[in-house]
Amino acid sequence: MKIYTGSGDRGKTSLFSGERVSKSDPLVEAYGDVDELNSILGGLAASLPPEEGELVEEIQQIQSVLMHIGARLAVTPGSPVSAELEEITEEHSKGLESAIDRMDESLPTLKDFVLPGGHISAAWAHVARAVCRRAERHVVRLPTTQTASEDSEQLRNVVVYLNRLSDYLFVVARLCNQIHGLSDTPWKK
Amino acid sequence: MKPPTSKEQDVQIYCTEVLDRFWLTDRVFEIKLSKPSTFRFMAGQRIRLLHGAIRRDYSLITAPHDPTLALCLKMIEGGEYSPILSSAEPGTRLSFTGPMGYFTYRPSNKPAVFVATGTGIAPFLSMVRTGVTDFTLLHGVHEAKSLYYQDIFRPAARLYIPCLAADADETGSGENVFRGRVSHYLAEHLAPNAYDFYLCGRQEMIRDVTLLVDEKFPGSLIYTEVFY
Repeated sequence: MKIYTGSGDRGKTSLFSGERVSKSDPLVEAYGDVDELNSILGGLAASLPPEEGELVEEIQQIQSVLMHIGARLAVTPGSPVSAELEEITEEHSKGLESAIDRMDESLPTLKDFVLPGGHISAAWAHVARAVCRRAERHVVRLPTTQTASEDSEQLRNVVVYLNRLSDYLFVVARLCNQIHGLSDTPWKK
Repeated sequence: MKPPTSKEQDVQIYCTEVLDRFWLTDRVFEIKLSKPSTFRFMAGQRIRLLHGAIRRDYSLITAPHDPTLALCLKMIEGGEYSPILSSAEPGTRLSFTGPMGYFTYRPSNKPAVFVATGTGIAPFLSMVRTGVTDFTLLHGVHEAKSLYYQDIFRPAARLYIPCLAADADETGSGENVFRGRVSHYLAEHLAPNAYDFYLCGRQEMIRDVTLLVDEKFPGSLIYTEVFY
């Protein structure tokens, strides 16, 4: 099975809903960010020690949700294809909130800004957090995020999910340092 | 063999049985399978046959309401699985997962153009058997005897164009035969317009037609299913 098709050699790509668009299309920018984020989460999961299997599983579940989000972003709003996609719901974001609260209980209270870094896994989590914010910004820029329709509601749920996910990743970064016996490095102004 | 409701990584595995198998040409055959009572699919979707470590996806050629399932396969010399299936006797038990894929017909106000090469005709057969009509269908084949389902497609299609290799024997191909690639037909004969293109077959065809659509049919939609 060949990976390359060559049909994108002239700067266009196919959306999941069938349209041919420029690779600089805002939808492509947005799902490209989500793909980048997903790949970094793979790096994060790979950097965790074997005893953190539950956290790895949680990250993989998030990766699966991001695949669904990527598919949604690859569909022009209003397309009949939207109906075939997995819905992004409030429950997805609430799941992240529960995970944040669970992890936060074991972490020392944060009093300062911290420098992204520490253990390599924490560094991955911070990179993921920053890319997640970029993905969020690109989704917010999509015109349909602002309108009232079923597709718009889905995109708004995506924004909420990405917003919560970046918070989750910040807490994961802190947890990763704690797991490895490291303290967060405070920002010395 | 696992029981019908067993799960492989949370995926439903269905058991089926070969009911019939017959050759359409010297290399292409159709295989009919029993339909598990709980299995549902949409016209154009695939199933994934499981055989030890081998996984192979094939488009169903039957309609969702049909009592049995059927596949149309090309026997690949030296292939891992198609030679096994090509000699499977009635009663042979197989397992599969699915349905898979999104290559389904989506009605719209744009004319539909179906483009297939070889056994890439399979998902269109399921669509037609589900009642889809009034489409243009191009079927690219190396020889006229590979137009095995033309009697089903001709009455349903607005326009059915077999695209035969330049040196192929035309006997049995019927009317409106085009000599050359499907992409050449589109470039030379399809009126400029926005269409819904459904492409199924070889990767090279999908690339050629996609680039042609970019150039000549802007505003069209393209749905693809690659056959290897």
